[in-house]
Amino acid sequence: MSYLFDPENWKWVTHGNNLRFIFEHFLNNLMLAVLAMVFSLIFGLGLALLRLSKNKPISKIAGAWIDVWRNLPLIFILLYLFLNLPDSIKRTYVDAIPNFFPEVMHESFFLAAIMGLTLYNSAVIAEIMRAGIQSLERGQGEAAAALGLPYWKSMRLIILPQGLRRMVPATVSQLITLTKDTSLVSIISIQEVVNGGQIIVNTAGSPFVDPGGPKAPVLHVFIVVGAMFVVFNLALSRLSRRLEIRERTRTGVTTERITGLEDQVALQADVA
Amino acid sequence: MTELWGVLTRHLPQFASGLWVTVRVVAFSFVIAMVVGTFIAALRVQPVKWLQRIGGVYVETFRNIPLLVLLIISFAGVRRMGIDINRWVAGCGSLGLYTAAYVAEALRSGVFAVGKGQIDASLSLGFTYGETLRKIVLPQAFRTVIPPLGNLIIAMVKNSAVIGVSLIALNDLLKEARLINASTPKTNEIFFWAAVGFLLLTVPATFAVRYLERRFVIKR
Amino acid sequence: MRGMRNLRWAIAALSVVAMLGVACGDDKPAAGTGGEVQKFEAGSTMADIQEKGEITIGVKYDVPPFGFENPQSKDIEGFDVDLGKAIASRLGVEPKFIEAISDNRIPFLQDGTVDLVLSTMTITTDRDADIDFSNPYFIAHGRTAVYEGSDVTGPADLGAGSRVCTALGSTYETTIIPKVAPDAKIEAVDAYSDCVELLQNGAVDAEITDNIILAGQKAGDDKIQLVGEDLTTDPYGIGIPDGQTDMQDFVNSVLDEMFSNGEWETIYDTWVGGVTGEDPELPNEWGTLQDALDNYPCVETC
Repeated sequence: MSYLFDPENWKWVTHGNNLRFIFEHFLNNLMLAVLAMVFSLIFGLGLALLRLSKNKPISKIAGAWIDVWRNLPLIFILLYLFLNLPDSIKRTYVDAIPNFFPEVMHESFFLAAIMGLTLYNSAVIAEIMRAGIQSLERGQGEAAAALGLPYWKSMRLIILPQGLRRMVPATVSQLITLTKDTSLVSIISIQEVVNGGQIIVNTAGSPFVDPGGPKAPVLHVFIVVGAMFVVFNLALSRLSRRLEIRERTRTGVTTERITGLEDQVALQADVA
Repeated sequence: MTELWGVLTRHLPQFASGLWVTVRVVAFSFVIAMVVGTFIAALRVQPVKWLQRIGGVYVETFRNIPLLVLLIISFAGVRRMGIDINRWVAGCGSLGLYTAAYVAEALRSGVFAVGKGQIDASLSLGFTYGETLRKIVLPQAFRTVIPPLGNLIIAMVKNSAVIGVSLIALNDLLKEARLINASTPKTNEIFFWAAVGFLLLTVPATFAVRYLERRFVIKR
Repeated sequence: MRGMRNLRWAIAALSVVAMLGVACGDDKPAAGTGGEVQKFEAGSTMADIQEKGEITIGVKYDVPPFGFENPQSKDIEGFDVDLGKAIASRLGVEPKFIEAISDNRIPFLQDGTVDLVLSTMTITTDRDADIDFSNPYFIAHGRTAVYEGSDVTGPADLGAGSRVCTALGSTYETTIIPKVAPDAKIEAVDAYSDCVELLQNGAVDAEITDNIILAGQKAGDDKIQLVGEDLTTDPYGIGIPDGQTDMQDFVNSVLDEMFSNGEWETIYDTWVGGVTGEDPELPNEWGTLQDALDNYPCVETC
């Protein structure tokens, strides 16, 4: 314990560029999470609609696609893409990235990271959306049909607006999981916070980069790294809860809510 | 196509040993997650405020920290503190403690899902508190909790792969695949079989959970 | 000893500062080192790179002193990086460094992600089947490192039950450790920095890899000790995409020039001599690419 609280072991925090370096790497994680989330929402909605399609084969294929990608470990998908993404795709990507985009995005394996995160998360999001839509489809859908609205119109005007709104909290909690998952791209050599932390551990006080500076012990560095995630994600989950409460008071929905539970979706009875 | 089978038959022992490591990691971690998760859930539903706080802090910390960071702290960091933790303990401990936060949440919402009205009704009908818990609350809570727990096992199978890529470096299925890939670079074939291994564990579990969800769902 | 080393570092640091000053002073795109910008005939690999205005070089990010990110200045620095800059300056283009770990550097060359790889890569005949190599630019030797207080004096002491750390996908993992310490269990990790951590916290008994990598680790932690004899001779080569003979000839000519005008030795003193205190082993005196290939004959590809 004394090792943990020894002020000597915390000196690196205020020394030189150490903390700033780690935090700047953390911003890469956030950027990656937001980007991957945007893509996942777009592809996830598409997948969910295909999955709910009245056309049986299409629905089955979409279902199989979703089941495969959300049941593989994310790190597995990332490593595979990292080792095996075709050259032509990578080159097209690198050529297409405008110069003013952040530096990490210019590396071709950034594409592998985004693709991996999107493949995995769009499958998870599709399940969240399917649950959101199905949670109200029957009664509402029947009412719309009774009023003479065709399927796609009732989907667009009645089902989707309500269903999507209902899945906002689950989506935010998936964003929390996604933010944590971005730490995995350190394995495919993208400069992010785990990488940055390791660099500080290895170089703080080393004669090559920081002669005479204090050492940065691995325990302390990664407690700081972990704290960055905890603080950010706590803020996100507060936001999610607030949205949920606002939604409930506005619509009076108290029957069921959709919760994202570590990438798996469950329809849960309402806690309140 | 022949290469696909060739890769499997040549490296079957490695794939099998990797799969077995993954299964054991998940099994050990699940035990830890259940024990710790139940304890934390109990902390969160008992009446003493500051104990509730502790439970809350546990859940918020372990739910919001990346598993990879937790693995680095629990192995490298803890060893630096002078505690000679071994890699299985650190790996399964991290995955277990991480998942325990979710288990605690699932259990807690399961207990809360049984309405207070039912408990009041049961008590006023003359059941004792113990009987109410045993006959009214727990059977319903159990049914509510089974599907989320199933989902957590699936998540654990997937998360277990992170242990192998961290510095703990257990030789799980993904790690074995990468070791094979290092000596015979047939990435497509090797990763195909590793994917089959993971899906063998996760997909049947997904269907089981879906079945249980439909079977156990309590209509209100 | 310490005082001496500090002095060396002070001198090295001063010379780096001086070099930076020179580089900032003129407007030529060439960074750091000297060397004339050469002209190449259209259609050659070099001309293509000149047209792009940029050469992408895969380097290690976590292997001081060869390639590492300096968190204070945020630059990628090291021996490989300086060599890469020297090559870029001859082309008159900007060097762009990206991280190449042992797992991916050959795929990077094959798929065109990088133009060159300078990532502490040992020349082997097996690798030569997939990519091309320059002449050796550094002669490393495989060594064993232990942590202070260990009674291991060499690989022979690493019997059954002992653990050895090295990088996944490296020659140490696939061939050398199984030969010199057949009973030891290999811990194959993704980054050498993981090995340092495992060595420091006692999770492994030894680390076996190139001596310069171990020396770089020693610079960060004095308690890391190099023990035993040279296990291997590992000539490092610059990785070049397969079949680019024009690029190969060009890189070799740059190396030859740097060996003869003392530029190579300056880089050596900056990054290696400063830690080890040892005199350089000139790669061109050691041998050619063919000698290096004979040094590691094929294992799988024939």
